[in-house]
Formats: sequence, C-alpha cells, structure tokens
Amino acid sequence: MLLVLSEEHKEHLSFLQRVDSAVVGEFGRIALEFLRRGSSPKIYEGAARKLCVPVETVQHGVEGLMYLMTESSKHMISKVDFLDSVLVLGFGEELNLILLQLYLQNHSEIRSILSQLPSNLPAYHNLEWRLDVQLASRAIRQQVIPVLTMRLLLTGGSDSPGELSRRVLQTDPGTLLHLISTLEGALAAIKTNHARRIFRNIK
Amino acid sequence: MEFSESVQRGLKSLADPSSFDRRCYQVLVDVSFRSLLSSQADPSVLEQPELKQIDQILLKQSHTAATTFILEAVKQNADKSTISSCLEELSFSADRIEIFYSTHQEHRKELERLLASIGRCPPHIHDASWCLQYHVKNDQVDKINEPFYLISLNTEKERSSEDINFTCTVEQLQDLVGKLKDAAKSVERASQM
Repeated sequence: MLLVLSEEHKEHLSFLQRVDSAVVGEFGRIALEFLRRGSSPKIYEGAARKLCVPVETVQHGVEGLMYLMTESSKHMISKVDFLDSVLVLGFGEELNLILLQLYLQNHSEIRSILSQLPSNLPAYHNLEWRLDVQLASRAIRQQVIPVLTMRLLLTGGSDSPGELSRRVLQTDPGTLLHLISTLEGALAAIKTNHARRIFRNIK
Repeated sequence: MEFSESVQRGLKSLADPSSFDRRCYQVLVDVSFRSLLSSQADPSVLEQPELKQIDQILLKQSHTAATTFILEAVKQNADKSTISSCLEELSFSADRIEIFYSTHQEHRKELERLLASIGRCPPHIHDASWCLQYHVKNDQVDKINEPFYLISLNTEKERSSEDINFTCTVEQLQDLVGKLKDAAKSVERASQM
C-alpha cells in the first residue's frame, strides 16, 4: 500500500532537504517526543534560531515528519512501500534511508501510542475481592449470610481516559458460581472452529 | 425482649377476652401478620366485619402493639420459650399464645426475608452477559486483528438496576475468571469449617 501525500504535506517536508542529516535526525527525535508527550513552542524556537529560519517552517517540518510516521505505522506499510511513497518527495537516497530507519525503529512504539487513543469503552484493569459473612443489621439480628464483596477497577471511559475508575460490587456464592460458568463459556467461544476460521481469514 | 408502656398496654388489651373474644383475637393476629407482609399500606386493613364491634381506638392500639411485638420477635430470632414467657407476663392464656405462635411460624421466613432486605449495600450482581468480537481496525490504527470481549454485569441496588459494561482481552478475561474461581474456592473452604 502506498501513502498518498497531499501537496501541503510535501511542501512541509521539503524543508528537510535543505538541512543536513544530523538535523533530520534531530527533527525525527522531536517528532517522536511530540507523539509521546506533546510539543512545546520553545523547542521549535530554539531550532529555528540555530537554523536561521522562521519558527513556522520548523514546526511544519516536524509535524509533517510526525504525520508521515503515524500514517505509515497506522497502515503497517512495508519497507518497499515506504520507500516508494517517499520517492514522490524527490529526496536524495541518503535522506530516504534516514526516514526509513526512523520508521522501522519506531513503528511499533507509534502503533501502541495510537492504539491507546480511541478507548471510549471502559476496559478491565483488575478485580479485588473479599469474603464476608453478614451477622446482623439494624433491621434484623442473628443472620448468617455469606457475601462476596468486590472492587472492579476499570481504565478509560470517555470521561476519564487513562484514569482508573473503581466500582464496589457484591454478590452471593450462588451467583458467583453462575458468573464463573458464564464467563468460562465466553472463554470457550474463542476456541471454536468458527472463531479460528475468522481469525485466519481476516487479515 | 423489652417493650414500651404503650405496647405493653396494647398487648394486655389483646390478651383480655372481654375486649377481644376468641374469634376477634384470631382475626386481629392474622391481620397483623398480613399487614406487615403486604407490599403496600392498606388503610382499610382493620375493616374486618368481626372487628367492627370493638372500640376503634383500642383496636388501633392493639394492632400497633401486635405488629411491634411481631417485628421484634423476628428481629431477635426469638424462640418459642422466649415468645411464650413474654406473652405469659402480659396475661395471655396458653390458648392465645398457641394461636399467636403458630401464625408466627407460618409467616416467619417471609418476615425474615423482608427485614433482611432493608438496609444499604453495594450494588448486587445478578447476572453477566458477554459477546466476543474481532477488532479489525479503527480510525487511528489499521490492521489490529485481535479478538476481545464485551462484558456486561447486570447489577441491582434497591430496586434500580444498572449495567456495568467494559471490554477485556482474552488474557484479562482469564485473569478475571481466575480471581472469581479463587473466591469460589475460599467460599467452599469456609463452608467446610
């Protein structure tokens, strides 16, 4: 699969031709930091001063590079396809290889950063549990009721991505056994021929 | 079991054959138990034909005293001797004690369940449902190709229900099931002690 780069994108990246390879490497590092932690204007200003170019040019260069990396990682394009895609930019052999190196070294990290983005459903994190016996309450004394109290920890959710939400729940031993057998049924579903066929054929 | 002055007075009237003859006594005992178990308060609960002859204020006092006694006996899980000696002190005849106690035995389990359901507790899980999906791609990342589960825990708290939904990978579901099985093992061990 080939990447299709817009005219604007090509223009932003064309700046990379005018600087030497060490600078391209540095821009690559800044672009990856941007993905990991976000950018700051100070970094762009510093680089712009050293290279005697406007801040905007540096910013576009870095962003263009970042976009190139994320699109390539998103589609997991092969080495050959990557080189063919950047050919369009008319860069020299050396620059192309630097870009390829940047892609190959970082694409799995970039993919894992990207995959943390769209979590609009809470995801399981952990389950803590304790077994108690209720002996009495305000309304009635002399009880013997086993209670399983649980704390379910979930990550994400649209209102608090990256933060853990905690839910305290309880159940009784009968329902606990029912839950176990229901969820074991869920685990068995993955081993069926039907599931295996789908996994094999959708790539 | 201890009762206030007014409850004791109400019960003493109930024991008195000149206020409540045998038939009225039986009816009031039945009505008292049933009024505790019905899901809605019924203002006409005391309008039984047998009870019409009795002074209405006395009737209400005795009904209140009887229901208070019943609830306290169930709350404390009082046995036959406790109930009998308590009623004896309040001048109940052996016959009336027997009528009361047999009605109490008839409704005891249901009353216990009713009292046990009063109170605050965390949402109670009743059921779980799941579906297995295959994540192909999303708008940020292509070629994901991983199976995952959508789990929904159906919980109830004080008559309102809520579904807790979350996703998990195969490994996470195995972790969850493993922890639930540990909990089940500890329940089994505790029940054998």
